[in-house]
Amino acid sequence: MGDAEVKDSTGSIRVPLFVPENLPADVKKENEYGTLTSKEHLHQTKSLNGKPMEPPIMDTPPYYISLITYLNYLIVIIFGHLHDFLGMTFQKDSHQDVMERDGWAPWYSKFESFFSRRMKKKIDDCFSRPTTGVPGRFIRCIDRISHEENGYFTYPGTTSMCLNLSSYNYLGFAQSEGQCTASALQSVDKYGIHSGGPRTQIGTTDLHLEAEKLIASFLGKEDAVIFSMGYGTNANFFNSFLDSKCLVISDELNHASIRTGVRLSGAAVRTFAHNDMVGLEKLIREQIVLGQPKTNRPWKKILICVEGLYSMEGTLCSLPEVVELKKKYKCYLFVDEAHSVGAMGPTGRGVCDLFGVDPKDVDFLMGTLTKSFGAAGGYIASNKWVIDRLRLDLTTSNYAEPTPAPVLAQIIASLRIIKGDLVPGEGKERLQRIAFNSRYLRLGLQRLGFIVYGAPDSPVIPLLLYCPTKMPAFSRMMLQRKIAVVVVAYPATPLIESRVRFCVSSSLTKDDLDYLLRHVSEIGDMLFLKASSGAASVPQDGRPPRWDVEDVIARTAKDCKDDDFFLT
Amino acid sequence: MPHIPEVLPKSIPIPGFIVTTFSYIWYYLNLVLLQIPGGDFLIHYVRKSHQDDPYRTFVEIVLILYGIYYYLSKPQQKKGLQSNRPNLSSQEVDDLIEDWQPEPIVDPSVMELQRWRLDSIPVIDGTGVNKRVTIFQNGRRHENVLNLSSNNFLHLSQTPRVLNVAKSVIQNYGVGACGPAGFYGNQDVHYNLEYRLADFFGTESAVLYGQDFCTSASVIPAFTKRGDLLVADEKVSLGVQNALQLSRSTVYYYEHNNMESLEAILSELVESEKKENLPAISRKFIVTEGIFQNTGDIPPLPQLVELKNRYKFRLFVDETLSLGVLGKTGRGLTEYYGLAREDSIDITVGSMAHAFGSSGAFVLGDAVMSHHQRIGSYAYCFSASLPPYTARCVDEVLRILGEDHSSVNQLQKFSKLLYNEFSGDSTLSKYVEITSCPFSPILHLRLTPELRYRKFGYSAEDLFCEMMHQQKRVTTTRYIEPYEQEERFLQEIVNRLLLESGILITRNTIVIRQESLPFLPSLKICVNSGLQENEILESCRSIKKVLIKSCSE
Repeated sequence: MGDAEVKDSTGSIRVPLFVPENLPADVKKENEYGTLTSKEHLHQTKSLNGKPMEPPIMDTPPYYISLITYLNYLIVIIFGHLHDFLGMTFQKDSHQDVMERDGWAPWYSKFESFFSRRMKKKIDDCFSRPTTGVPGRFIRCIDRISHEENGYFTYPGTTSMCLNLSSYNYLGFAQSEGQCTASALQSVDKYGIHSGGPRTQIGTTDLHLEAEKLIASFLGKEDAVIFSMGYGTNANFFNSFLDSKCLVISDELNHASIRTGVRLSGAAVRTFAHNDMVGLEKLIREQIVLGQPKTNRPWKKILICVEGLYSMEGTLCSLPEVVELKKKYKCYLFVDEAHSVGAMGPTGRGVCDLFGVDPKDVDFLMGTLTKSFGAAGGYIASNKWVIDRLRLDLTTSNYAEPTPAPVLAQIIASLRIIKGDLVPGEGKERLQRIAFNSRYLRLGLQRLGFIVYGAPDSPVIPLLLYCPTKMPAFSRMMLQRKIAVVVVAYPATPLIESRVRFCVSSSLTKDDLDYLLRHVSEIGDMLFLKASSGAASVPQDGRPPRWDVEDVIARTAKDCKDDDFFLT
Repeated sequence: MPHIPEVLPKSIPIPGFIVTTFSYIWYYLNLVLLQIPGGDFLIHYVRKSHQDDPYRTFVEIVLILYGIYYYLSKPQQKKGLQSNRPNLSSQEVDDLIEDWQPEPIVDPSVMELQRWRLDSIPVIDGTGVNKRVTIFQNGRRHENVLNLSSNNFLHLSQTPRVLNVAKSVIQNYGVGACGPAGFYGNQDVHYNLEYRLADFFGTESAVLYGQDFCTSASVIPAFTKRGDLLVADEKVSLGVQNALQLSRSTVYYYEHNNMESLEAILSELVESEKKENLPAISRKFIVTEGIFQNTGDIPPLPQLVELKNRYKFRLFVDETLSLGVLGKTGRGLTEYYGLAREDSIDITVGSMAHAFGSSGAFVLGDAVMSHHQRIGSYAYCFSASLPPYTARCVDEVLRILGEDHSSVNQLQKFSKLLYNEFSGDSTLSKYVEITSCPFSPILHLRLTPELRYRKFGYSAEDLFCEMMHQQKRVTTTRYIEPYEQEERFLQEIVNRLLLESGILITRNTIVIRQESLPFLPSLKICVNSGLQENEILESCRSIKKVLIKSCSE
């Protein structure tokens, strides 16, 4: 990157710093959190009272779509290799980054970086879009112009307000005013922005203890410990109590932070197919009998790791069954509620709440504070004697920075709102709005004929695109229509299942979702995305659903509250 | 074919082409064997055995072929690595499952012996950055305590100027960023902080991370794979040790800050690599720290740079403690030695939660390296962006430093003052030794080996041996009695200081079950620019008094 002054005719090459828009207070508020338009647009989730949930049906596309997807990859890969070959033969200057130079190995090899150089780079304009302001109901995206096939971007200095379906702002706590912001501002006055050092040395303040107590009581556990970073919570957690004589049984779709953490602990890992309870039981039985490799001594402990809500699939773990297995075989259970805490369950307490499972049956409840609470960091909740031991053995609390005060204040305020201690009624409305919005959008998309994955109540709604080339098309067309969405592909998903992921928020109104449905329907027609076979939705005279968008909008608001319209 | 002897008797019905092929092979083998001294004995032996029993030749050929096949084929990974599956009846399986008793989820056995550790964690009423703090510790309330534990060295982030920035950003952006960097989480403030960091430290790019401790452990593995080489200092802190463990590469350690030891390893590695004649050059890194977190001293950077250029290694420096602290204007280790960062250090890890007094971390380096982190570094890709206010606050602190670096000078003056106070004392040197350099704002005090041996009956080597022994046996309980006693003794000094003089210093809290390199317990005294000279001098006197009293008891 050059100097700040370097300018192209199309704008500066550095992201400019924007001054906040000068908007009237009510407009600003409305942009961050839309007012509820009708009492009809609320839905109270009911607890399943310990009943396991039927696994959601994953619809499959027609054969020709899979074929075209593979063909798509094949063409991109062939051209990529051709490009590499020609480039490294004739354009050595622009391929310095992957070539050995004067005895120095390149930072990354040609092979390792092929995917990012030759495939991801072509659609780089769909990722890392810079934004400014509050990522609430609308998000202010900074306009940029791509040059040299995404070689670099220029910024003309303008912004576009887009409907936000990309941020993890499930309960709409990303706001610049209201109770949460007020307490964050207050905490700056009393505590400043820095805690001075690690938790065990100087970094523990009364605010930390208050937040931990509140989280523990919210989740129904005895004690909790909080960390300043969600990824770091998992990445430095498992080594505090597992070693190479312990076994971790992990769902194949677990997040990278769990995998990093387990690797650091040195524990052995076995994976089971996503949500496959029969496979899980078989694996546990086999492992108890076989014990450690080579020595065949029994494992010291076996930890089952699952996530509450899987962020790429929108599926839930089958918690009641996992808990049953865990009890039956004396294993320990770790549930990562990064996406589900706050966003799911009748009272927002996550998957335990939704399934009606006693939180005491889960040994470790982990979650992030970044998503539903609009703050940052993560927590781990467990029994008091366990947390006491962990406080001494966790590396994060002994070596790393603690959570700063304004973030703690946001956590405390948002938790108290959800519990109903603060601004009674607001928390309940937020929970009911996200439940309604999630179900409405999911059923709407299904009726339009899209292939959608996940559980009915999940605020994460992946819509399958399949062909990797449809990702940039979808993302760019949505941006033109002022809607910010996230597209994901391999390696975060299976190779052919490229998808767009809608993250629903309480801050959206039904009108917002209608606007979204109309545009998605239109783009879906253009890109041939309406490919569902009808297997995953309630059958209607034997044909796959292809509703007209206006019908969907007129009828779905009522229907989506009824479980009969969801096949689970 | 007059010369070709017949190998197989004609009476056995064998297809003609096999007979001819073997005859040819035997004929040419004959010619070859005759060239080799002793070959004719072999020919004689084969001929004789073949004459006695023609089938034996066949069996032997098959055996030789199988031997070759076995030698070339890789050992088969048996399913699940557990090859010796017992053959059990279902009743036996059920019994085994019934019998299995796991260990408790965490080890409760020494908790009561270590509860003092929990009790001695101070709880600050307010923030641990202020000069005077009110704390709760061991069930007691201590008011107006002088804080010599804060890592907010420059004391700039507590100024109204920075706090006002924090407030105005919260009013315009809210608190959280609500998304990872790749998905709308990076805002204009994040990008602009990256530009400012890069400009301030003189590198092409900077990349922001959410937490200082996990940054090294994410950056190094993003660039290393199996077969790459890492040569690390033997005193690196746990964050870097984790990085080495996750790197998948071969790790070598050189003696702490010893350049001869480093050079010996480097030259040996380069020699052996030349011999191996690999298809591609492996990536090679020297890994060290700016100010060592466990000892407080600094590495000889000019020699390191010279060596890394000579042997074509890249240099990784974890400058968590040294950025904003070392050098005339706070630009870190490179400025201290008068070098340009861009030409000397390839990857720098810096923290925003120490001298700059906010939260998060960053990595400095060239544009290609930085870009790759945005794709391959886990802590960057899989984690939400920093809250926007923390980014703007660091930006403001750097702006202040750019205008006026008096706080850095003040800090260095205080660090030196502290160092001189303690290093110049001859009574004290009987009891404690100082490992920090004069410019380190954290002064590490540890007991002298003699005192340790006299009081607790062990040495640094004993501790490391015992640690390694426990690690090797993968014991659940990691408890070393004399070490625990020494730690407790140090904590008692801290407590005594708090009670008698109203000064808060801290023990260097280390988790023994995580460490894989030799270390020793120490006390930390931290200074910051917000203090007064006489306060430091006065507290030095009190600390020395308590130290001498405690150690001579």
